Amino acid sequence: MTVSDLRAPELEREDPPLRVVTARRRLRLVAVLVVLVLLAMAGNALVTNPAWEWEVVGEYLFAPSVVRSVALTLELTALAIVFGFLLGTLLALARLSPNRLLSNVARGYVWVFRSVPLILQLLFWYNLALLYPRLTFGVPFGPSFFGIGTMDLIGPLTAAVLGLTLHEAAYAAEIVRGGLLSVDHGQREAAAALGIPPVRRLLRIILPQAMRSIVPNAGNQVVGLVKGTSVVYIMALPELFYQVQVIYNRNGRVMALLLVAAIWYLILTTVLSVAQHYVERHYGRGHR
Amino acid sequence: MSAAGTDTAMVELRGVHKSFGSLHVLRGVDLSVGRGEVAVIVGPSGSGKSTLLRTINHLEKVERGSVRVDGALLGYRRVGDRLYELPEREILRQRTAIGFVFQAFNLFPHLTVRQNVTEAPLSAQRRPRAEVEALAAHLLDRVGLADKAEAYPATLSGGQRQRVAIARALALEPKLLLFDEPTSALDPELVGEVLEVVKDLARSGTTMIVVTHELGFAREVADTVVFMDGGRIVEHGPPAQVLDDPRHERTRAFIGKVR
Repeated sequence: MTVSDLRAPELEREDPPLRVVTARRRLRLVAVLVVLVLLAMAGNALVTNPAWEWEVVGEYLFAPSVVRSVALTLELTALAIVFGFLLGTLLALARLSPNRLLSNVARGYVWVFRSVPLILQLLFWYNLALLYPRLTFGVPFGPSFFGIGTMDLIGPLTAAVLGLTLHEAAYAAEIVRGGLLSVDHGQREAAAALGIPPVRRLLRIILPQAMRSIVPNAGNQVVGLVKGTSVVYIMALPELFYQVQVIYNRNGRVMALLLVAAIWYLILTTVLSVAQHYVERHYGRGHR
Repeated sequence: MSAAGTDTAMVELRGVHKSFGSLHVLRGVDLSVGRGEVAVIVGPSGSGKSTLLRTINHLEKVERGSVRVDGALLGYRRVGDRLYELPEREILRQRTAIGFVFQAFNLFPHLTVRQNVTEAPLSAQRRPRAEVEALAAHLLDRVGLADKAEAYPATLSGGQRQRVAIARALALEPKLLLFDEPTSALDPELVGEVLEVVKDLARSGTTMIVVTHELGFAREVADTVVFMDGGRIVEHGPPAQVLDDPRHERTRAFIGKVR
């Protein structure tokens, strides 16, 4: 074979550009048809079955009591996430500390609060007065300055925020710890070599980089928590899930009101997912 | 190596020992680098040259011996025959007088080139922003990257990143510059642009200690070449002597291999 034989002479002769014909994928076409039929059936089942009572759904979706309960759900989520991640960050730093006591206390905290079901923790905080009827503030093991009845201090809302926060903190601690560990050791070293003070080093150099791995996991936590707040219904707090139960116990439209709650949870998580996208983009700056 | 005495030396190491677990990395190193002197440390991998460099800004604590920079004991305070470890704040202050350039650049990826350079003067030295911004612009111009001030490190080539890292170290206006294999992570065609910047600094009278494998560079800029092996300094002297007419067999073997 000579070198000229290796060139494809017929390609050179081809004057009009060659057209590419995509291979036909018959199986994929079948799959598409099947999925379309299933979607149509599902849509049909939702729309034509009068038992869904779409007009009732429409009536209650923006009812003042429901909107108020959505606000409470958001409030619980926001408080638990903010305080949970603050405490979780401190726990993560303690866990990574070279001090054995600090690191083991943090490890113990995560162990306990991840192991006990949230619903149980909530009931525990709600009923704290059974264990400690009176809380006093003062010098540890010394004189106390003032005391307060536990029932007066920890109402249902406080118990709910406390329970959700402490529970969230255990997960947040692990998420933040993972984030801190994901930052290249050279970054810490460079910051130390430049003489940047420790707090600044953490807040300006390490944490912003850790956020790249923290945000996707934290997003998961927030979405989980929006729905997780529904367990505080056991403390008769009028958040979304409790509120729709109150309404359907009164009017008997169970499915329609559960659908109202489902639609609201969908809306909340969708908004949060969009927000997460922008937060991720912010912390991804400088990376290609 | 200047024999002028401890008063005028910029860096003075006495009997420095350092171990990592059972690995005895530095086995009694004495080194003195005078003001304005350029010392280049060469030697095989694992000879302790990078560790030695890192002890000079207290990134590694020494176990025995002492490190003095500009006359001051690094990391410790001496009372009688005891060395008390300094609080971190003091160590950080000492470090701002020493610029360190890493093999892997270690630029902050989430900050722009300009922010990388201004961060330490602002937060560690608390200098006024206007002054620091002007200094950063000047330094970036000096390393030939004035047009990249607002770029993020990821968009730069390796050579450009290392030049930013050098500008970042210079922004502290240090008395001493330490380079830890500044060109080892670079593609061969990018080595030259970084060495040009280092040579320029050497000519300007900055005191520098450079760990490198670039013997040509050592010959060109070093006042002193230090050859290390097995955690000790085997020999040191002017480049013409150490590189071209080494006294020790180990130095000869190393230089023969690298060449």
